Amino acid sequence: MVSKAADSAIKLRKSHGQPANDAVGTLSSKIDQLEKQIQAERFVSIKEKLLRNGKKVQCHVSHVVSAISKRDSLHTQENRINQMLSSRIDHPLFKFNAFSQVSGDKDLNNSLDVIFTASIKMPYIERLPPYTSWIFLDRNQRMAEDQSVVGRRRIYYDQHGSEALICSDSEEELTEPEEDKHEFTDAEDRILWMAFEEYGLTEEVLDAVSESVGGTRQEIQDRYKILREKNMERQDQESESSGDVESRIGISLEESLSTALDSFDNLFCRRCMMFDCRLHGCSQPLIYPSEKQPVWFEHEEDRKPCSDQCYLRLKAEKILEGNEATTMEEGVLTLASSGAAELGNKSTATTLVEERCNSMNATPFPVEVAGCGGLNLNVPVAESLGKRKTINQSDKALSDLTLLTDDSQSSCKKQKKITDTDVVTAVNDYNRDLNVSACDEKCIIASECLNDSVERASNKPLLSGSTCPDEHGNVGDGPKDGMAEAEFNESSYFMNEHVEGMKSLSEWKPLEKELYLKGVEMFGRNSCLITRNLLSGLKTCMEVATYMHAGGASMPYRSNVPPNSLKNDNGNTDAECTDQEMPTRARLIRKRGKTRKFKYSWKSAGHPSIWKRIADGKNQSCKQYTPCGCQSMCGKQCPCLHNGTCCEKYCGCSKSCKNRFRGCHCAKSQCRSRQCPCFAAGRECDPDVCRNCWVSCGDGSLGEPPRRGDSQCGNMRLLLRQQQRILLAESDVAGWGAFLKNPVNKNDYLGEYTGELISHREADKRGKIYDRANSSFLFDLNDQYVLDAYRKGDKLKFANHSSNPNCYAKVMLVAGDHRVGIFAKEHIEASEELFYDYRYGPDQAPAWARKPESSKRDESAASQGRAKKHQSH
Amino acid sequence: MSKPVPVALGCEPVVGSLTSSRKRDYKVTNRLQEGKRPLYAVVFNFIDSCYFNVFATVGGNRVTVYQCLEGGVIAVLQSYVDEDKDESFYTVSWACNIDGTPYVVAGGFNGIIRVIDAGSEKIHKSFVGHGDSINEIRTQPLKPSLVVSASKDESVRLWNVHTGICILIFAGAGGHRNEVLSVDFHPSDIYRIASCGMDNTVKIWSMKEFWTYVEKSFTWTDLPSKFPTKYVQFPVSKNLFMLQIKIYYNCIQFQVFIASVHTNYVDCNRWLGDFILSKSVDNEIVLWEPKVKEQTPGEGVADILQKYPVPECDIWFIKFSCDFHYNAAAIGNREGKIFVWELQSSPPVLVARLSHAQSKSPIRQTAMSYDGSTILSCCEDGTIWRWDAVANSAT
Repeated sequence: MVSKAADSAIKLRKSHGQPANDAVGTLSSKIDQLEKQIQAERFVSIKEKLLRNGKKVQCHVSHVVSAISKRDSLHTQENRINQMLSSRIDHPLFKFNAFSQVSGDKDLNNSLDVIFTASIKMPYIERLPPYTSWIFLDRNQRMAEDQSVVGRRRIYYDQHGSEALICSDSEEELTEPEEDKHEFTDAEDRILWMAFEEYGLTEEVLDAVSESVGGTRQEIQDRYKILREKNMERQDQESESSGDVESRIGISLEESLSTALDSFDNLFCRRCMMFDCRLHGCSQPLIYPSEKQPVWFEHEEDRKPCSDQCYLRLKAEKILEGNEATTMEEGVLTLASSGAAELGNKSTATTLVEERCNSMNATPFPVEVAGCGGLNLNVPVAESLGKRKTINQSDKALSDLTLLTDDSQSSCKKQKKITDTDVVTAVNDYNRDLNVSACDEKCIIASECLNDSVERASNKPLLSGSTCPDEHGNVGDGPKDGMAEAEFNESSYFMNEHVEGMKSLSEWKPLEKELYLKGVEMFGRNSCLITRNLLSGLKTCMEVATYMHAGGASMPYRSNVPPNSLKNDNGNTDAECTDQEMPTRARLIRKRGKTRKFKYSWKSAGHPSIWKRIADGKNQSCKQYTPCGCQSMCGKQCPCLHNGTCCEKYCGCSKSCKNRFRGCHCAKSQCRSRQCPCFAAGRECDPDVCRNCWVSCGDGSLGEPPRRGDSQCGNMRLLLRQQQRILLAESDVAGWGAFLKNPVNKNDYLGEYTGELISHREADKRGKIYDRANSSFLFDLNDQYVLDAYRKGDKLKFANHSSNPNCYAKVMLVAGDHRVGIFAKEHIEASEELFYDYRYGPDQAPAWARKPESSKRDESAASQGRAKKHQSH
Repeated sequence: MSKPVPVALGCEPVVGSLTSSRKRDYKVTNRLQEGKRPLYAVVFNFIDSCYFNVFATVGGNRVTVYQCLEGGVIAVLQSYVDEDKDESFYTVSWACNIDGTPYVVAGGFNGIIRVIDAGSEKIHKSFVGHGDSINEIRTQPLKPSLVVSASKDESVRLWNVHTGICILIFAGAGGHRNEVLSVDFHPSDIYRIASCGMDNTVKIWSMKEFWTYVEKSFTWTDLPSKFPTKYVQFPVSKNLFMLQIKIYYNCIQFQVFIASVHTNYVDCNRWLGDFILSKSVDNEIVLWEPKVKEQTPGEGVADILQKYPVPECDIWFIKFSCDFHYNAAAIGNREGKIFVWELQSSPPVLVARLSHAQSKSPIRQTAMSYDGSTILSCCEDGTIWRWDAVANSAT
């Protein structure tokens, strides 16, 4: 159709020779015609709509009529007589006769005044102090886009002048370009279509269309394209007769995990651990900590089968089988299996070794069991170790039954484990097992490969743990490349055998695969946990275990552990991880040891700028913190550094980042004085960061420290919401006021001043509106945001200003967010009204708050870091 | 943009012509002077069939109940006065308790809703709670114990006059951002209300999810203040396939006239079936169909179907009223004239234009009787005018 139209257009031009005027002339008349037609159609459609609606109205009315008659039937004539209203109808207070039609307008000169002789009095009720409906917030919220008043016309009604005025700076409003894109209505589409289909896409036609339809030429052209596509689609659809429209319910298994996790990534706030966080908003940039969390760990021996389909059951059978089969190498087996058991999370190790023994006995094994030699390879790590080729190859060699591949695979697996869990000793142990049980050279080579790689990873000889140092020594310094090649050859030799193993993998949907990988990331190679938490209903534990052993999946991506820190970690742990039985404890020890390493100094605690602020004692506005996504150390390009904020625990950078705020180290001071670096920096302590500030929730029965002991940190009161009960009542001064229920002491925390977080621009705008109404709930928070408690907030928004207040407000940085705490300035008795100094500028205070002396005194007494109410300029 | 932007093609509303069809003629039959303070509201009782000719007015601190008798006679039935001289009532509505006792519900400057038991001539209840003046009170026609109030405190509240409970508060994150001037119950969808106000928007709310609270309010025996009043923060939730309609009156203005309109409160809205009649200060009543925007389900668009021009009606707080059957609407203007529009014909027909040499004061509200044969108007200067349809005129 389109091409035909184009043809006709060409023809048109050709035949006319001088195409312009005539064609356009007819075009515009045609457009006119079409416009009229469209208009007429519109009017008809409105008429129809009204008719339909009219029937609805009738229906509604009849409902109401029946409701009335129902009520009428309820009460009898008698009880109606008892009603005063009925009796008044019979005996009205007064009657005003109508104008006589004869005298007409003259009557109107004598107005009929209604005289109230018998008015019934409504008892006096004191009106409430005015307030605007507001919503309670227990934490700050960022303003939603549609709540902005910027660029929106707001009319202010002047109560006294009875005048409506626009409350905006007109110039500012006008200069804001109304960049509205032309939206095409159906009717305009019709004109457009008609014009271009019949007259072709020429300049003249474009002009004519844009004149009648509006919108720029470009817009029209674009629209025409869209229409053409739509038309084509429609035609296609018609011919195809609504084909395969699959209804998609829930998450399709064919989708990738990232698609499925899209809403999680976009809606889940990683700072507040909740969905749809109103404070930090949706679609936050994802920041992954450069230091990975250790995987979930559970001792295999302690584990119970998670279900009938648990692979642990399978394993138990295998052990029995193995015991029967191997008599010759009993010792080896026991050694191997015990060693493997010690490995704990190396769930596959046992079966692996057994299997090897079995294979030596030439007992053929089912492929899926053999597949347990498979592995998960951390490709990035492998790369860093320079053994990528080998690993990839052995990765593919899924169902190798020979010693070599078994070993090479396990070695590769070990590499992964090392890097992933830092449990080096476990590898040592396993190494030993390998060496003991290894009977031929290939095996030795393989184990050498392993050791070699382990060495390179840990930068430390691991031979001490091995029981076969001699063998090791033999090959220890041999050229690595050769060995890798040997491995490569061997594994490729077995390539064809892995096909069998792939069978079971083919049933894995992409989403399941990715979920599995996530599971490995979270729980390690624990198929029970992975199945239960991520794949329940999709795969059984056995299937997951099989898949795991088959090594069909590569290692989780995004293990961005820098090699350096890895080395350090391994170096640290090595000495402590001597206790092979208790890897968990070892990890704990390591953690402590590491913390100790950060030699804490009071002076180094904060970023220079913060100290400057404190030292100067100036009320510099604080800077809004936004987590940086730097890897490991923050350099000069770090946004935090650039912004003048410290890095916090939400940043991507490592804990040893120089820009990190390192919390406090206070032992007994309860962090209540400026001795505490957190307190001094206007921050609350953070149990994640500070050394001795912790949160406990038990009653001590489990051996945890008591909840409110002497050593309880006193600088986490906003975080823990240790607030006082605030009451709302009519103020003694003006309007509403906030009152205290229970007595408090000096510096006690009373509560948080919550509200909407709005930009300064928005605040200026709103401030103007609020100033007219003479009530403002704006509060300067930091360089980016102002708190507005006008529509959303808590009762503390009603605390009034006083130049001689009993409270003070202080902006605190709590877990990366600035929050306003209200504190007692002195001892306050129960049910006293709360006041704090809004810190109005010299001219901004309302009349009642302006006292001649006070302002000066305030300024001199002003302590640093004190918050002030926002002032609009 | 220098020249007026025409309404998008294919979306033009039908605009009524101001030439009167004289379908029905009205004559002034009575005029009362009720003190000197402005009268802001006048309303007929549509709740109880034996009181269809009874109406109430408010002005200053007074609430007065009248009756329209044959031949233009008006009788004063009851008169109530607030002891607070500063009170200025803005709105009044008829309601009743569950056994049918008629109530007059009035509210105004003080923000206190007075529920007067007209059956016993006593104050039944006073609702304190609104944080500021009350601009309109309306009664649910199917359940006349429910009233809804629109307030300057930016909230709309649903009350049970029988038990004296504040059931719901429509305010908060999605609520109005300036005074609410008008509110109306949907005629058949009992869950639905529409409100409009100084923020230039019309919002449609649903209380379907909260209906259990409404039911609970009827059986509540404890103190009304202990009732678990709920906040409805968002106009009609998305998952219920309902919508929040926002008409930015200045936008519509912008499309029709370019004339910069400074005053654009939406000060009166009424349901007409599933359509909404609303009025700003632009000399016209607009009939529009609320539609869901496909891309953003939370927000709606208005398809403006018809316009009923009302000259010299450019100040705010002028409210129109319809007869019981929604056949016609009457609205006064700044100069004391009344325009009676046939609502449901297309194009709209001006039934009559009522004017009187002495009626010069702005008419704040009109009231049409059950069958539309009587029109009352209350004026800024404290007068009440009664217009009766002339019997002999053509239908």
